[in-house]
Parts: sequence; C-alpha cells; structure tokens
Amino acid sequence: MRYSIFTVEDFCKDADFIKWAVSPTPDSDRFWRTFMESNPHKTEEVQLALECVRAIQFAEAEPAEDDLLALKRRIWKDVETIRPVVYRRLNWAYLAAASVIFILAAGFWLTLQKSQLTYRTAYGEVREIKLDDGSSVTLNARSEIRITEDIANKKVREVWLLGEAYFKIAKRNGAKFIVHTAETQVEVLGTTFNVNTRRKQTRVVLAEGKVQLLSGNNPALVMKPGDMATIGKDSQVRFKRVQPNHYDSWKESYIVMDDKPVSEIAEAIEDNYGIRLQFQDSSLLAKRLSGKLATKNPEQFLENLSTILERDLIKTGDGYIFR
Amino acid sequence: MTKISLTPDEHTSLWNEFRMGDRDAFSRIYEIFTADLYRYGFNLVRNKQLVEDCLHELFLHLHIHKSTLGPTNNIHFYLYRALRRRLLDALKKLKKYDSDEHALNHAEFVVESFEAQYIEDQDQIRQQEMVLTELNKLPKRQKEILYLVYMKGLSYQETADVMDISMKSVYNTVNVALTSLRKYIRTSLLREGALWLNIGFIIHMFFPNI
Repeated sequence: MRYSIFTVEDFCKDADFIKWAVSPTPDSDRFWRTFMESNPHKTEEVQLALECVRAIQFAEAEPAEDDLLALKRRIWKDVETIRPVVYRRLNWAYLAAASVIFILAAGFWLTLQKSQLTYRTAYGEVREIKLDDGSSVTLNARSEIRITEDIANKKVREVWLLGEAYFKIAKRNGAKFIVHTAETQVEVLGTTFNVNTRRKQTRVVLAEGKVQLLSGNNPALVMKPGDMATIGKDSQVRFKRVQPNHYDSWKESYIVMDDKPVSEIAEAIEDNYGIRLQFQDSSLLAKRLSGKLATKNPEQFLENLSTILERDLIKTGDGYIFR
Repeated sequence: MTKISLTPDEHTSLWNEFRMGDRDAFSRIYEIFTADLYRYGFNLVRNKQLVEDCLHELFLHLHIHKSTLGPTNNIHFYLYRALRRRLLDALKKLKKYDSDEHALNHAEFVVESFEAQYIEDQDQIRQQEMVLTELNKLPKRQKEILYLVYMKGLSYQETADVMDISMKSVYNTVNVALTSLRKYIRTSLLREGALWLNIGFIIHMFFPNI
C-alpha cells in the first residue's frame, strides 16, 4: 500500500487523507483505522498530518440564526408558490357577483361624452376607485376609465375602459352596468370582473355571476364563470375555459404564468411597466412557464424571470435583453 | 472527530431523490448545506445581503430546474460552485467588474489559530504563529484554494472546478502552503520525541527495500 511509505507532508497533500481529516465518514474512519493498525510505524505521521491539516483553519462568520430563518422563509415562500398551483374552489355562495377580464382596443376612445369623470394610472401604478353606486374598480397600470356622470342614479350605469381593470359591481335595483370597449360591450347586473383593453383586442374573463357581450352585429353572448372571451377588431368572439384568478392576479402584484408563453408575460410587463423586453433567442418567446411570480418590484421580477429562463439579463435603453 | 459527514453514496442518493422531485430531499439538502454555503459566500463577498439573495436564487433555481440538473456525488462541491458563480455574476452586474479578481476584492479568507490543545512548548507556539502569518500573507485566491481543500475537504479537481482554475494552480498552492507547514511539522516531530521516526524515515528513503 502506497500509504505505508508516506511522509507527513505526503499525507497532508493526499486528497483522500484530507477528506477524512476534514469530513470523516464511517467508511473513511474504518479505512484509516485499519491502515494504522496494520502500519503502526505510520501512526505518528498520521497523527501529525491530521494536526497539520487541522492547523489550516479559516475564520468563518457564523450566520445569525435569525438571518438563516428569514432566508428560509423567503425561499420557502417562493418554492410554495412555484409548486403546481392547487386551486381552491371558490365559495360561490359568498360571492354573489361575477368577475370578468377585458382586453380592449384603443380606437373607440374618441366617442367621448361630456361631464364624465376620468381616472388615469401611470406605469406600475394600480389604483382602486370607489364609484358612487357602491361599485369599485381597480385600475391596472397605464389604464384609463371614464365614468358616466351621476352613476348612482342612472338606469344604465356606463363606463368606458382603455387598458385593464377589475370590477366589483354592486347590485342596484336592476340597473345595468355596461363596460364599453373598442370591440365590445359587457353588460352585467351585479358582479365582480376584470377588464383589460390592451393589444387591440378585448379579453373578458368572468369569474362569477353572469354577463353578456354585445359585439358588432353579433347576437348577445352570455358568459359563464370561468369563460374567457376574446374579441378582436373584426368583432369575432373566441371562447376559452380558464382559471379566472390567473387573470386578475395583477391586483395583488403578481403574475400567474400558468402555462402562458413568455411572449405573453413580456407583453404584460411592457403594458404595465413600460419596460421593453427583448430575447436574443427568439425561441424563448414560445416557451411556456408555470408558477407565480411577484411583480411589485419589476427589476426583481425580471431577475427571477432570468433565473427561470437561465438567461443573462442585460439592461438596454428602454428595457432589458435576455441573453 | 464528532462531525460525521455523508458518504459519496449518500450524496448521490440524496441528490437523486431531490432530482426526482422528492420535497423532503429538497428540505434536507437545504438544511444540511445552507449554513455552510452561507459561510463560504460571506468569506467571498463580505456582503450578507448579496449572499442571501444569491442563496435565495440558487435554491429557487434548483427547485425549478431539478429535473434537468446533472448528477453529483458531492452536493457540497456542486453547491459551492453554483453559489460562487452566482455571486460573481451578481457582483459583476452590480459593479461592472471585468474580471473575477476585481469582483472578489472584498474576499477575505483569514487563517486563524487552531486549538492548541497539546501545545505546551513555547517554540511550538511561536512556530504555529509563524505558519499562520505566512499563510495569511498568501494572495486571496490561494487562500481560497486552501480553504476549499483543507477546510471543506474538496478534491483538487473539485476545487479547480469551483474556482474555474486549473488543477495545476491548486497543486501549486497546496505546495506553497506545505512549505510553510514543513517548519511546523519539523518542530512537532522533535517535540513528539519522534526523532527516531524521522531517522527511521531517512533510512527508509535511502534504503527503501529494508
């Protein structure tokens, strides 16, 4: 056995010896004990070498227990949310309303009427507006809503939306509530819903209750909870079944990716934060992601996205490029 | 020796369980390795916030990409390497450093005196202090090599991989360190009354067949 002619220095250089000195396992303990028993003349050298290896000690700052716990909490929080999301069934009895999401085009906006309230949000701003009729509207970033005058007393309550908003409509003696967008109008009696009018289309996602869509010359279409209707410029309506809470998570400043392609996530970031994202590898755009990421801090969000995509994030003039 | 470590087989199977999606394995890996990674990271960058952010990203990355990770029989090594790269990237992004050397200019590996339980001899103590002073004079990168080899028990190859350097640099550094240690070894041998061993050894060197 070559170890039987080793000097102290040789032992100090031997990777297996060092490994045993630093992090012994039952196996390595057994090995070296056997070695010393069968090579008693080397026992002294082994002892000295052990002493030498352990002489090379480095100062280490012990992390504070608090810091470790806080770190674990924040990692675990993300890990939990990134697990395949298990959806709790909503308790419909509690929520006597519907939630709808719209994406509208920009063109119709010129049909302005007089004496109306207009609210506007900036990039990254989310704002909740209480209407006089008891309803509330949460306006997503860079969006605009016009509200008919004296809404509390109108037989037909009307608003015009550009951008994206989540509506919680109070029932009011059968008075209709209509959200106008470029492509359609959504009529509800009392409900919660979210409307988004970006990307030259209107997308309506209904979480609860019942709404009807009036687009172009089409007959009224009734939506059921979980329906997503996408209405393009041509007034064509496409239906899809979705998880409504994946489409209004912006209220809580996170994005539910749920198999959405990267392109859609990039659009949302551009729409809401004015940050343009480019991808050196354009095949990434089609990549589908799942899980949920916080967007409160857009830079942090992009860092996380770059981690998921395994790409470097490089700042450009008006945004970032994933490389 | 109170600390008993995982065997390479245990590393392999723990890592495999984790890669197969076992949540428990993920937790165990986290519990076993995080404090140690934290210490290494802190020695490298001296910035708690940065270390925590990078550990956060690292474990999130592991969790998300577990099914695509490669195998390893030394999780320690695997994670040291991953953390070091992440810290370097983060530093470069933050401060636009162009090279690793500059990015790590806050690195501080301090060789400290070990518990001198047997040492009564004044010469011995003086000798030990000299060794420490000499080792501490080494450049940061060399001290990092010694840290990974002697403190963390990584193999030369693993150390080279973690630091992205050649194995030759690792060998050379270990030799430099042992030159300092040699003096210490010599006094220790004398102290132990192990002179006869030394003599015996010299004889052995000249007459290897005896």
